[in-house]
Amino acid sequence: MVNEKQVLGIPYGTRDFLPTEAAGKRAIETKLAALFALWGYDEVVTPTIEYFDTLTMDSGRQLAPQLFKLFDKGGKTLALRHEMTTPIARVVASRLKDAPLPLKLSYISSVFRSEQSQMGRQCEFYQAGVELVGSASATADAEVLALAIQSLLRAGLKDFSVCLGQVEFVTGIMQQYRLDEQTQQTLKKALEQHDLVAYDATVASLDLAAAAKQNLRQLPVLSGGEETLQQAYASALGEQSRRALDNLSAIYHLLASYGLEKYVRFDLGLIRDFSYYTGMVFEVYTAGLGFPLAGGGRYDHMLSDFGCACPATGFALGIERVLLALERQGIGAPEPAKDVYIGYSAGQEAAAVNRATSLRSEGKVAELSLAPQTKAEAEASRHAKGYATLVYLE
Amino acid sequence: MQTSDMDYLTVALPKGKLFSLSAELFAKIGYTAEGLSDQSRKLIITNEEKKIRFIVSKTADVPTYVEYGAADIGVIGKDVLMESGKDVYELLDLGFGKCHLMMAVHKPERRPKLTDYAHTRVATKFPHIAEQFFNEHGMQMEYIKLNGSIELGPIVGLSESIVDIVETGTTLRENNLEEIAYIMDATARLIANRVSFKLKFDRIHAMVEDLRQILESEAKA
Repeated sequence: MVNEKQVLGIPYGTRDFLPTEAAGKRAIETKLAALFALWGYDEVVTPTIEYFDTLTMDSGRQLAPQLFKLFDKGGKTLALRHEMTTPIARVVASRLKDAPLPLKLSYISSVFRSEQSQMGRQCEFYQAGVELVGSASATADAEVLALAIQSLLRAGLKDFSVCLGQVEFVTGIMQQYRLDEQTQQTLKKALEQHDLVAYDATVASLDLAAAAKQNLRQLPVLSGGEETLQQAYASALGEQSRRALDNLSAIYHLLASYGLEKYVRFDLGLIRDFSYYTGMVFEVYTAGLGFPLAGGGRYDHMLSDFGCACPATGFALGIERVLLALERQGIGAPEPAKDVYIGYSAGQEAAAVNRATSLRSEGKVAELSLAPQTKAEAEASRHAKGYATLVYLE
Repeated sequence: MQTSDMDYLTVALPKGKLFSLSAELFAKIGYTAEGLSDQSRKLIITNEEKKIRFIVSKTADVPTYVEYGAADIGVIGKDVLMESGKDVYELLDLGFGKCHLMMAVHKPERRPKLTDYAHTRVATKFPHIAEQFFNEHGMQMEYIKLNGSIELGPIVGLSESIVDIVETGTTLRENNLEEIAYIMDATARLIANRVSFKLKFDRIHAMVEDLRQILESEAKA
């Protein structure tokens, strides 16, 4: 029996893009696709459904409850992809295994998470991003970061801020005080969950000198411009954390060569997801939107889970979030152009078709009336459809 | 109202018992506004000189305002914050509003062990926290979400137990209920939107340090 109420509805967490919205989305996607290509990134398209085991291979395990799951005919568990990095890692580790490195791949696709929908993120949402596989250098990280910034600029955003951190710095600081594994996990979990109260309470309970506790307490709020790095060097006593800062410093100087350093500030308490990222991490914020617009970082271990030990770095941006930010900052997407409406009296069909063809070949958006009209009717149609000019053949 | 207005700091305060304590604390570091009251009919109260706005909302809505960035920062009980599961920065334990979450049953019908309550009904305003607690004890329960007067549940036979917050225990005693399991402590927390904490870092960080000083000096006094 058909449920009348459901027939016209759509499932929770999904949305329709009506023509203006779809045009705005398409415009951004077109710009991003062109930009990615300009930087030498090749697009890949992967299936919407993957094996559940593939998607939960690495950090996906934590996200397993958020996956939409289904079964194939053989009873194997499938899932809708919840991000694009894992499917691309699978492709790299299998079908592109012998391709020359570094590999530069891009994507623009929908991903699915069955979490409660957020601002600019439904259960189905659209991401654009790149993965740079096969280089562990700061040059690769700087390229990804620069491309992320350029993507937002190309999309039309002017005012945004990139916060840059390094997970090895955080780990290094914890190692230099010889914190046991359990304590490190507790502190990292608190940082991941943005729970600075729990973080401070754990630090306070440690058996450490006052200066060491102060260093640890400062960690989540070590944030600012280039001077923050100098400040961080003062608290980095070990090799690991110093190397992480050297890496950030190198990335920052390369970004300056791109002329993009003004968008970046350091935020050494930023770690995103510890089980996934292994080097620099970043998130992009803009005023008026309570959620990050984009994020990314280095993930050197993930590919080895697929049997292909290979460093990698990348970013993803949320297309709906960028659209929302543009709208909130009054940078609306331009209305799609509607140039000419062609009306005609009876018997003029052939001439009208010819006219439409020639206008379209000049690149004009032309709509042809589907039946003969009077001039007044044609004018009314032109107005209703929003076309700039009327061509009437009689 | 737009928080894209970078000059202003928007603070969400909960109506009810945390309101006056929060407002007093903010006043001590110079953040207040004329007519700031949870009885006010005005929903947004602004101090133009200090560039600060207060919004006064229903308690359970504070984490939502902050998560979405409609407010930059807010004050909320740890109990409500944890139940909401919202992704916000938890910046400071404000120390007041101290209470604890616990499970209580009707005294005359008390069973010997916690696990004797498996598969029974529990009335609560905190179904997520309750579920997490019972899961840790390997107990399946039937959750009945109530919005107030939770204590009524066992008395009228709606449920076998309740999970609720307790400050002094008076309400429990008056209703012949007995606490049989402690779940967690809760105090008021200062929370911040993930993006606001980054984009307005200097201002929010300075505020947190000022508040921390006040709280520490009061703790010593």
